[in-house]
Amino acid sequence: MNSVREPLLRLEGITKRFGTLTAVDRLDLSVYPGEKLVIIGPSGSGKSTLLRSINLLEEIEEGSISFEGRQVGYVTRHGRRHLDRLPAICALRAEIGMVFQHFHLFPHMTVLGNVMEGPLTVQKKPAEEARRIAVDMLAKVGLSDKRDVFPATLSGGQKQRVAIARALAMSPKLMLFDEPTSALDPELVGEVFDTIHTLADEGMTMIIVTHHMGFARELADRVVFMESGRFLTQGTPREFFGAGQDNERIRSFLNRLL
Amino acid sequence: MKRVLIHSSRVALALLFLWMLTGNCLGAVDYDQLFRQSSDLMAQGDLDGALKLLAQVPPPSAGEDGGVFVSSRMQIARIYASQDANVKALNACREVLKLFPDNSEARNFTAALEMLQKPRWHTVLSDILRFLPALGRGALMTLLLVLCTMLVSPLGGLLIALGRISTFRPISWLCWFVIWFFRGTPLLLQLFFIYYGLPAFGITLPPLTAAVIGLGLNYSAYLGEIIRGAIQSIEHGQMEAAKAIGMTYNQAMRRVIIPQTYKRLMPPVGNEFIALIKDTALVSTIAMVELMRSADQLFNTYFNITALVLAAAIYLLLTSIFTFVFEKIEYRAGIYELR
Repeated sequence: MNSVREPLLRLEGITKRFGTLTAVDRLDLSVYPGEKLVIIGPSGSGKSTLLRSINLLEEIEEGSISFEGRQVGYVTRHGRRHLDRLPAICALRAEIGMVFQHFHLFPHMTVLGNVMEGPLTVQKKPAEEARRIAVDMLAKVGLSDKRDVFPATLSGGQKQRVAIARALAMSPKLMLFDEPTSALDPELVGEVFDTIHTLADEGMTMIIVTHHMGFARELADRVVFMESGRFLTQGTPREFFGAGQDNERIRSFLNRLL
Repeated sequence: MKRVLIHSSRVALALLFLWMLTGNCLGAVDYDQLFRQSSDLMAQGDLDGALKLLAQVPPPSAGEDGGVFVSSRMQIARIYASQDANVKALNACREVLKLFPDNSEARNFTAALEMLQKPRWHTVLSDILRFLPALGRGALMTLLLVLCTMLVSPLGGLLIALGRISTFRPISWLCWFVIWFFRGTPLLLQLFFIYYGLPAFGITLPPLTAAVIGLGLNYSAYLGEIIRGAIQSIEHGQMEAAKAIGMTYNQAMRRVIIPQTYKRLMPPVGNEFIALIKDTALVSTIAMVELMRSADQLFNTYFNITALVLAAAIYLLLTSIFTFVFEKIEYRAGIYELR
């Protein structure tokens, strides 16, 4: 890894608990510009919670998050940790794109409206410019012909590509993909993978949680295996999926999937 | 001869006197008896006999007051009317009116009989035309009340809903209290308190203001719970997706969450507004003349249920229009869900 460069994102000792369950347990992680990190692991291992902690959809109990070298998200007031003020949190989220398993498109807006919404409402760009950005992003995900329809008329794969376009319209520095293909019919997975692949080729930094090992092997610079809120192991896809994998737990997990 | 003449003139005078005496006496006794007899015959069910007796009373000659004649003919008219022989009854009345055109008893009876002669719809129609202006004014006032409340209560309801789901406890509690109070007490009592109670605290409101405040608060409380339910029924992922592109809570509410509640709001809000149209009838108790009060006034003046039936029809018309409009709005609001 290029460790000379400053990491884009650095997590130090982050911990998230739900009652007595520790979903994320004292994790450290650095992601470098342009890196494609794939997180795999059994369900309930804390992968999604980790992603959601990064853009502050979950409030962590311990640890710190740095983005572009700055501590973000939390401040200490009167000796107690608090979530940062709303504008700071929103500013961070605006720079980190997120794609959800279930798309969460805004059903009352057209496809173009969905993609315009971020630039228009969050970045307060003029409607003309927001529209131009949205048109470009829809062209990029190959859905220019669907501009004026409502999301209800789209297939799952098309919805997810619109969701990717919506995130990209904010010109994010980091993209988080939370199981982007898990809710799709198998024949629709390919188009979404292709879209993410194009993005990866353009040098986007991304963290992807997925259960598709083939995709992980093909795309990842680094693969992390997570279980019970901890990283069990990490390495290049070659190391991870190769014959040299000596971790029995991971071997059995991979065997079940492949 | 002279004696004979004197005698005979005495006899003639005596006879004349006797005739006059017995004649007058006889007449009075006769009529009295005649009416008594006719009553007896009626009581026995012999109406024909009674009619025959009464018909014997001749029309009065000039100078007579004719009271007996009028009584007899009116009695005849009543007997015929009781047998639904309206034409014969009318004839009896006309006999009276020919001689005494100003006799009020005969005139009233004639008018009543003529009313019965005409077809029924004619009466109803004339009642409707008579009542419609007053009821129309009342309906306009009802409509004004409904529109004012429809303007105020969705805004109040939205504020209450947002307050209820606020994480800032005092506001959440305050909104809970408002809902608890205004849903938990009768609207009638609230209206009484605002109109008759507040003057005790130095606040005197005109009826319309008091009515709109009362209805507005009450319906804000109900709509508040409906709007809160609709907001919370929107899938959680929508808020997360909005936050993920950097929206603040307020932006997410305004741009993403609340617009999606419109379609879900329409059926229950339509229900509430239809209930509102009928609830406006309660403000008739605080000196407002709206549709219900107008109908009540007409009913109490004319003892005619047409006024009430007409009011019911106007209420139905208003609620039908609202139902229709709300169905259209619901369809429009949910057009994005169509595949």
